[in-house]
Amino acid sequence: MTQMRPIRLTVNGVAYEAPVEPRTTLADFLRADLELTGTHLGCEHGVCGICTVLVDGQAVRSCLMLAVQADGANLMTVEGLAGPDGKLHPIQQAFVEEHGLQCGFCTPGFLIAIYELLENNPSPSEAEILDVLGGQICRCTGYQSILRAVHSAAAKLGAVRSGTAQESA
Amino acid sequence: MAIEIPKRLEDLPTSAPRWVGRRVERKEDAALLTGRTQFIEDVVLPGMLHCAILRSPFPHARIAKLDATDAEAQPGVVAVVTGEDALRWSQPAASAPEGWGTHCLASSLVRFVGEPVAAVAATSRYVAEDALERIVVDYDPLDPIANPFAAMEEGSPLVIEEKGTNVMMQRLFTWGAVDEAFAKAAHVFTEKFRWNRVGANPTETFGAICEWDPMSLDLTVYGSIQAASFFALGRAATFGLPSNKVNVKSQPHGGSFGGKGGTRGTDIACLLSRKAGGRPVKWIEDRMEYLTSGGSQAWDRHYEVSLAVDADAQATGLRVKLVDDLGATGEGYAAISAAKPLAAFTGPYTIPVAEYDLTLVATNKLPAFPYRGFGPPPHFFVLEQMMDIAARDLDIDPAEFRRRNFIPSDQFPYTIPSGNEYDSGSYEEVLDKALALAGYADLRAKQAEAREEGRIVGIGVASAIEPGVFDWNAYRTVGVPGIGVPEGATVSIDILGMITVRVGFSLEGQGQYTLASQLVADYFGTDIAAVRVVQLDTQSAPPSFGPGGSRLGVAITGAVLGACERIREKMSAVTAVLMQTEPDKIQLLDGKFAVVGMPGAEMSVAEVAGTMLARSDLLPPGIDPRPEATHVWTAAGRTEPDDQGRAKSYLTAAQAVHVVMVEIDRDTGVVEILKYCLADDCGTRLNPLIVQGQTEGSVAQGIGAALFEEYVYDEDAQPLTATFMDYLIPTINEIPPTEQTEVVTPSPFTPLGAKGCGEGAIHTTPAAVMCAVNDALAPLGTMAREVPAAPNRVWNLIRATQG
Repeated sequence: MTQMRPIRLTVNGVAYEAPVEPRTTLADFLRADLELTGTHLGCEHGVCGICTVLVDGQAVRSCLMLAVQADGANLMTVEGLAGPDGKLHPIQQAFVEEHGLQCGFCTPGFLIAIYELLENNPSPSEAEILDVLGGQICRCTGYQSILRAVHSAAAKLGAVRSGTAQESA
Repeated sequence: MAIEIPKRLEDLPTSAPRWVGRRVERKEDAALLTGRTQFIEDVVLPGMLHCAILRSPFPHARIAKLDATDAEAQPGVVAVVTGEDALRWSQPAASAPEGWGTHCLASSLVRFVGEPVAAVAATSRYVAEDALERIVVDYDPLDPIANPFAAMEEGSPLVIEEKGTNVMMQRLFTWGAVDEAFAKAAHVFTEKFRWNRVGANPTETFGAICEWDPMSLDLTVYGSIQAASFFALGRAATFGLPSNKVNVKSQPHGGSFGGKGGTRGTDIACLLSRKAGGRPVKWIEDRMEYLTSGGSQAWDRHYEVSLAVDADAQATGLRVKLVDDLGATGEGYAAISAAKPLAAFTGPYTIPVAEYDLTLVATNKLPAFPYRGFGPPPHFFVLEQMMDIAARDLDIDPAEFRRRNFIPSDQFPYTIPSGNEYDSGSYEEVLDKALALAGYADLRAKQAEAREEGRIVGIGVASAIEPGVFDWNAYRTVGVPGIGVPEGATVSIDILGMITVRVGFSLEGQGQYTLASQLVADYFGTDIAAVRVVQLDTQSAPPSFGPGGSRLGVAITGAVLGACERIREKMSAVTAVLMQTEPDKIQLLDGKFAVVGMPGAEMSVAEVAGTMLARSDLLPPGIDPRPEATHVWTAAGRTEPDDQGRAKSYLTAAQAVHVVMVEIDRDTGVVEILKYCLADDCGTRLNPLIVQGQTEGSVAQGIGAALFEEYVYDEDAQPLTATFMDYLIPTINEIPPTEQTEVVTPSPFTPLGAKGCGEGAIHTTPAAVMCAVNDALAPLGTMAREVPAAPNRVWNLIRATQG
């Protein structure tokens, strides 16, 4: 057995401290050790983007990062998007309305990548959206419904920011 | 008792459908979007071990020695299995054609790169993979068989020596007076085409957890399994178990598209579980395993095609010669993909006679598996290129040439030469709508301008059929028996009027639980939120196949509505007693059981259900008190194939016309799609939101197949596409927006008039894109005969024209 290393990190606002083998990937640590199985693995070689999580505000592929490298970091995964009352985040709601998911396996990676985009750039251009979505693979939708969902989510979030959001029943 | 399933939306017991036929958001989305859905990799069972598989690096070799002693001694390793365990406890895999299966672990000979030779069950996947490095295998390499034509030659090395040949099947189907048609034809066009291997690549690979009790021999498998009951039967056959000893529970899974595979990995995990005293063993395929050794590859085809055309520009005969390289075994049932074109052999055209010269060949490549469309997409690629070759030669616009050859809408039901019957269609209307949407005349004008500027621009107009609601009889010719594919559902109304639908399949993306809820909600006049859909395992579920062959939407509609009809009969009988009238005086409408002609004399569904379950004093003796029923639906009128394979097989025939404009970069050979428009007709659209999603996704897979995706092998049968850096799944930057429009010609034969639409556009997209590419290349005097039209191929074609 390789020597275990203790790490501390925060995921979705919850602090964790756990021993980890240095070779354990961040994705495997989140899924197996923290039981946050919403982060999925599609290729494990950094192409498909399905395992994308936020590390200190930046979208990273958790299959290409070791858990020990996240020591001290603040993470967000798909489990952190919806409100504690179960209310979907506007990006998630836009995915429902635009049918932006079919099997849903790649969806957590898309949600996190889009979340990062819209946090940093509330009104992205089409080219800026394509640049981000181009890093994610989906095999079901053909992407167009996801593109529509990004536009819709940007509008929803804009309305929230400007205080004009309509509270849905 | 015979029941009548509503054939039209108007037949539903509602004054206006609130759910069926509308763009209803999916019920499954919230769980998927929040990471709560339990995919197989998320499932953890007590005492569970993790499996890793050691695979052959050689395409063809004898195993001289295998020593797993060191691996067995490694801490954390609980069990190791090799080919000896497979020989002791299992049979060769079932296959099509029959007799071309091998054991899940090779014992003396490996037949493709990636074939399993040993496997480990350990306390973690990391530990299991460590242990693989301690297994020593010595191989004596043999000459690889990499090419199907060489494989057919006398004296070729054999993939499965006991078979005495590499030809799995060779058969000539003749439908009508084909020789005569070609002898009389004013024009005969002949061409060769090559379709390289492509495949499904769902974003979730295959995975399973297997528990095989060594005492009772009860076997339980949880997995990302597309067709659970079929999978269960396969395990029973492989392990020689009574079929009721095997229970399969499919988890919701991350796509399938026919190419989920996983039988070998499952069987290996089963052997490990038995050896580990029955502990559950989890096997999760990684992407490299999927790409090189999984259910990833389909359609490795060499075509020679002839089309006969008369002096009036009517296509009068079609000959298709196909050599399909199925790889090392028939375990993937890929042979059915070569048989399925019989269901739509002549496409949307009136071609009266046809011939199919079919050869299935074994080589040392990965065993082929199904993929979305199951075989017709390459068939329509070649048929549509032939239609364009003829139109070009006769100087007729390709859209007009197709129009002249379409089956007229007054000739349905229409029997094609290969025996299947098309249910309905309005092909000219679909063509007109597609051309109007694309602004076809304007596109041609733009193309002429672009050509003036020296640009290489082409337009493709292609049409194809999507056979829907598959039937086993379509595959009889390659050794799969059976007629009919039953799909069952149980609908139950509880004491408070809440409704549960129980089905035998899991979610994989097409929204069938939402569809089932839409149907029940409209039938009983409830909100969709009052309906819950629950999945049962194979030992509990009514007969079920699940998704596949564009059937489940139609089949589950039949099953659910059939169950609803049976409940209505029971509840009408109860209501009649309570209302002191006859059952035929009771009518269900908008959620009320009412006495006809007596306004106000009515009970709600919940009141009747509550009475049935909680007021036995009000019920007459002998009445069935359960507001619950099961119905098993299967397509009516399917027939036994004749000696030429002709049968009524697929129940529905959806049709589409796609119009595509492309531009080719002269310097790089890159094909760019400038415009993509389509019109399609899949009968009644039960949930247009989902139909649109299926179409958009299927276009994307079709573009991938036409321009990007290819499993490449070297001349020694070594796979060169082992990662997503090599096998190019299109991203959003390769997939243009599609403009869509529709025609609705209900099927006369199905529940609510719906047709199969799940496989959808991939039947037409590769053909349409390649028609556009070849329209672009035609003025240069060259033609793309090989799919995908990747930049290197197109660039070489253009270079060759420049002398």
